[in-house]
Amino acid sequence: MSLASVPPALLLIAGAVALPFIAPRWRLLALLGLPLAALVQVWHLPDGQVLAGEFLGFAVAPLQVDALSRVFGTVFCITAFAGALFAYRQASLMEMASAFLYAGAALGVVFAGDLLSVFVFWELMAIGSTLVLWSAGSTQAWRASMRYALVHLFGGVVLMIGVAGWAVADGELGFRSMTAALDGEGARALAAAFILAGFLLNAGAPPLSAWVADAYPEASPSGAVFLSAFTTKTAVYVLIRGFPGAEILVGIGLFMIFYGIVYALLENDIRRILVYSIVNQVGFMVTAVGIGTELALNGAAAHAFAHIIYKALLLMSAGSVLLVTGKRRCSELGGLAQSMPLTAVCGIVGAMSIASFPLTSGFVSKSMIVDAAAYQHLALVWVLLAAASAGAFLYVGLKFPWFVFFDRDCGLRPPDPPANMSVAMVLLAVLCIALGLSPGLLYAMLPHAVQYVPYTGAHVVSQLELLLFAALAFFMLLPALRGTLTISLDFDWFYRRFPVLLLALLTPPARLLWRALGEAVCDRIARTGRHLARVYGAREGIASVAGSGAMATAALSVFGAVLLYFYLR
Amino acid sequence: MSAAVSLGWIIAVPFAAAILIVMSDPRPNQREGVTLAAALLLFVLNAALVPRVLAGEALVLHLAEPVAGLPIALSVEPLGMTFALVASFLWIVNSIYSVGYMRGNKEQHQTRFYVCFAIALGATMGIAFAANLFTLFMFYEVLTLCTYPLVVHKGDAGARAGGRTYLAILLATSIGLQLLAITITYVIAGHGDFTPGGLLAGRIEGPIVGVLLALYMFGIGKAALMPLHRWLPAAMVAPTPVSALLHAVAVVKAGVFTVVKVVVYVFGIDLLAGESSAAWLLYAAGASILIASLIALRQDNLKRRLAYSTVSQLSYVTLAAAILVPISIVGAALHIAAHAFGKITLFFAAGSIYTAAHKTEVSQLDGIGRRMPWTMGAFAVGALSMVGVPPTAGFLSKWFMLTGAMQSGQMFAVAVIVASTLLNAAYFLPIVYRAFFRAPAVDDAGHAHGEAPLPIVLALSITAACTVALFFWPDLALLLARDLAQAAR
Amino acid sequence: MNEHWLYRPRTLSRLRTWGVGLLVAVVVAELFVTLHPHFGFAGWFAFNAVFAFVSCVAMVLSARLLGRFVRRRDDYYDDDRLPAARSGGAPASDEERA
Repeated sequence: MSLASVPPALLLIAGAVALPFIAPRWRLLALLGLPLAALVQVWHLPDGQVLAGEFLGFAVAPLQVDALSRVFGTVFCITAFAGALFAYRQASLMEMASAFLYAGAALGVVFAGDLLSVFVFWELMAIGSTLVLWSAGSTQAWRASMRYALVHLFGGVVLMIGVAGWAVADGELGFRSMTAALDGEGARALAAAFILAGFLLNAGAPPLSAWVADAYPEASPSGAVFLSAFTTKTAVYVLIRGFPGAEILVGIGLFMIFYGIVYALLENDIRRILVYSIVNQVGFMVTAVGIGTELALNGAAAHAFAHIIYKALLLMSAGSVLLVTGKRRCSELGGLAQSMPLTAVCGIVGAMSIASFPLTSGFVSKSMIVDAAAYQHLALVWVLLAAASAGAFLYVGLKFPWFVFFDRDCGLRPPDPPANMSVAMVLLAVLCIALGLSPGLLYAMLPHAVQYVPYTGAHVVSQLELLLFAALAFFMLLPALRGTLTISLDFDWFYRRFPVLLLALLTPPARLLWRALGEAVCDRIARTGRHLARVYGAREGIASVAGSGAMATAALSVFGAVLLYFYLR
Repeated sequence: MSAAVSLGWIIAVPFAAAILIVMSDPRPNQREGVTLAAALLLFVLNAALVPRVLAGEALVLHLAEPVAGLPIALSVEPLGMTFALVASFLWIVNSIYSVGYMRGNKEQHQTRFYVCFAIALGATMGIAFAANLFTLFMFYEVLTLCTYPLVVHKGDAGARAGGRTYLAILLATSIGLQLLAITITYVIAGHGDFTPGGLLAGRIEGPIVGVLLALYMFGIGKAALMPLHRWLPAAMVAPTPVSALLHAVAVVKAGVFTVVKVVVYVFGIDLLAGESSAAWLLYAAGASILIASLIALRQDNLKRRLAYSTVSQLSYVTLAAAILVPISIVGAALHIAAHAFGKITLFFAAGSIYTAAHKTEVSQLDGIGRRMPWTMGAFAVGALSMVGVPPTAGFLSKWFMLTGAMQSGQMFAVAVIVASTLLNAAYFLPIVYRAFFRAPAVDDAGHAHGEAPLPIVLALSITAACTVALFFWPDLALLLARDLAQAAR
Repeated sequence: MNEHWLYRPRTLSRLRTWGVGLLVAVVVAELFVTLHPHFGFAGWFAFNAVFAFVSCVAMVLSARLLGRFVRRRDDYYDDDRLPAARSGGAPASDEERA
């Protein structure tokens, strides 16, 4: 491996391992320098297989580059940089190291050319993200992170089953489209289904989507920024490459979209709102992958790019609020724009982006997906996507900034957060606007050639109509949108509460049964035992106290004697 | 040197070392030196055999024939080579560790300890290279008997009780069940030599196969197939180097080694695959994996938790063997090695914690990772290997097991592996979390301690590194395992 | 203490006027652009406006409806634990430690 072919992933992972050994004053340099170096490397690497080898009898390509990988690689490096900047002052060393391990592993997945490499980095991502969650330190975080770890290990083993099955059925582990296999039959279809399931779990697809909202909000303010970026978007990447055009993804994506919206509308916790919106937006990407046309796939990649940036921005804004006020519930916040104008503005920019306001990155990316549905004449899909776009403004584009920075004054006057956090936020906000103003920057990176033009008069006007009237609905329904001190049950009820209930229900009769059985059997055994003890017991009869050591010697001697006897015969 | 001489040396070195250790009793440094030298020599001898085994040479040594038709002979084949390599390498590391542990805890009867250890390794070599069932059985019994003093090392009532259980179960199963099975085999086949493809191939069929298999599997008590596993947690009364030996290096590995050997060389996988009466083994192994893990979840004593984890992991090997396709046999062989490195790391860490901090319960381990980062770091690596996450060795064996299960469509085995992964995570991850991410309990403030003595830390770092290294450089293990799979056809 | 400019009553009424003006302007703007709708119904005048409003109301109402079934108290899950917690796995919560 020459210097020119160093995987970007390795830069970050090595950084993670080395971080505890770097002197504190050089750490910032490492934390900011490594993502930049990785970004340089992403654009420096030539296309195609850069590293290839053999592992367990299969041809593996741990480093393979093409346009799709580059898009994701670029945004991952940018996020690592911004996240590190946001975090370095207040995050623990362990959290930073874990975050870099996590980011590096994500880079590893997007540049992996074969399924085995994908899997190895996939599991490393699970380790890194669990460590990031653990670094948050609270008891809540511990429990949520344990559930997170188990769900992800489950997803990992499901993926492993799929990859192993694919290896058996196909014989070759190159990472390419498996959509055709899904529709086929037999072992290949089963393996492809398992792989899809493993990928979808990381994307936050139902039924196991509760982990996203369960775990991410428990991370530290800086940890959440990292978590939001990598796992789910890496899942989008592998879906784009592995299952483009798989029809089932359209339905799953649409479910995710509305699941995110509805649950976010029920939420009071600002970070949980943002996290449900991750599922919501990833749903857009998943739907796009399901549609499968070049425009749709471009849209998925572009939207992933935009989403990572504006979601990180939103979480930074929410994280800053959490850090300086200690509060995270809408019902306890409000009016903070008065003392935190910078955070408020950045939060608003992020909110505008997620709502796809013209002149923001969300506008140039999400509309590709909606248009792709239209081009395919998928009327129902288009209607639902359009509704969801309006809803996005409602439940997060407006709800988040409104209840936190405006609305009723909660009386707190916290200042804007420390410089490093503010700079990181401004950086991402600028990026959101820059992409909105010149979409060509983003379009040039996309895997397929782009003919799409976002800024047409019709498009801008339609979108503004959509958004402004959604805003009208918001302000008219304001009382209904206020948060309450409740949680909403999700599918995870089945593995959190249901087993406990089941156990409580079944234990008393089980105990009765056991006792009854036990009595019958034990009685019998006890009587036999007593009889045996009388004849062969420890103190009398055959087995008087001789000690086990003596027994061992006796056994050896008998054995030896038998051998000797037979030898002499 | 010729094969016969090499094999002879391999058997002789540990036993000779035992004698030399006895003679070095009053001089501890000499005694430890002899142990280390013998371990190194043994490993080198084994390593020297490897190229010849890979080349397919037949290496046989005929030792004696006490009874006509019952020769004591040694021969080398890939599985035995793997086992011998792992055991001899880990003897080196375990000896380093024992120096630190025994001296750090100021243990009594150290000479007896090192002597029995050496004899145990000699017996292990005999098991690894046994050419026929009789030889295997002989060394198997020697191993049980010579590890007894190691188990009751502490000498108190608890130790003796544990030792009694240990001895009782192992001897009862081996003499009562295994010997019977061996005898039946000899009667049916006329000899007990291990044959590629199975020595019973074509000679038996029908329910007798299932019964004979049961006699073997439950007779091999060292493989701790439930419900004959109680000796393993009972043996936790032993000092940690002994537990490491028992549960990683020799005793349990001898058990699962024998299981795979019996499946591959006595029955042959084709014979078992064709017999419905043999299907029970898969389910027994699966149940053992899950039940043992469930029990492990409830243990607060660290060593007991590790003991039940071992019971579960051993049944992984049995499960892999029971899937009965060549590629799962590769998984079984790999797991013998992978689990050895991972589990010995975990036990080393447990002993390290005991030596440095005098703690034995999981609930006492809050914050200990800050004071003992190397120990708990190695523990984390070992734990990941148990779960089967890359980049550790545990991933390799799991990969082959899953591939084998998918190939033969054994979804039960797949489901067991899924459940077991989650269970392993459920009882190992909390320990890692507590150690690194919880503040120490309030009443702990008075007892300041740092890392364990250097030999201990060195040993566990080596085994943890090996666990990871085996992932990146699996070639030797893979070559041997694939040769074994070839022999299984 | 001076009220922040955002909260002064004059600001609020001004914002309201501007808001309504914006809504009207955007609908009127539709007259000046040529839509190329993919679907017939999407070409109706002010379709997006009405559609957005209606669907948002629908989403909020469905959320409320779902909430009737899935809402629980904030501390609903607080006594749940993995079995490992009972015997030395997960650490006890802070309240129980005291």
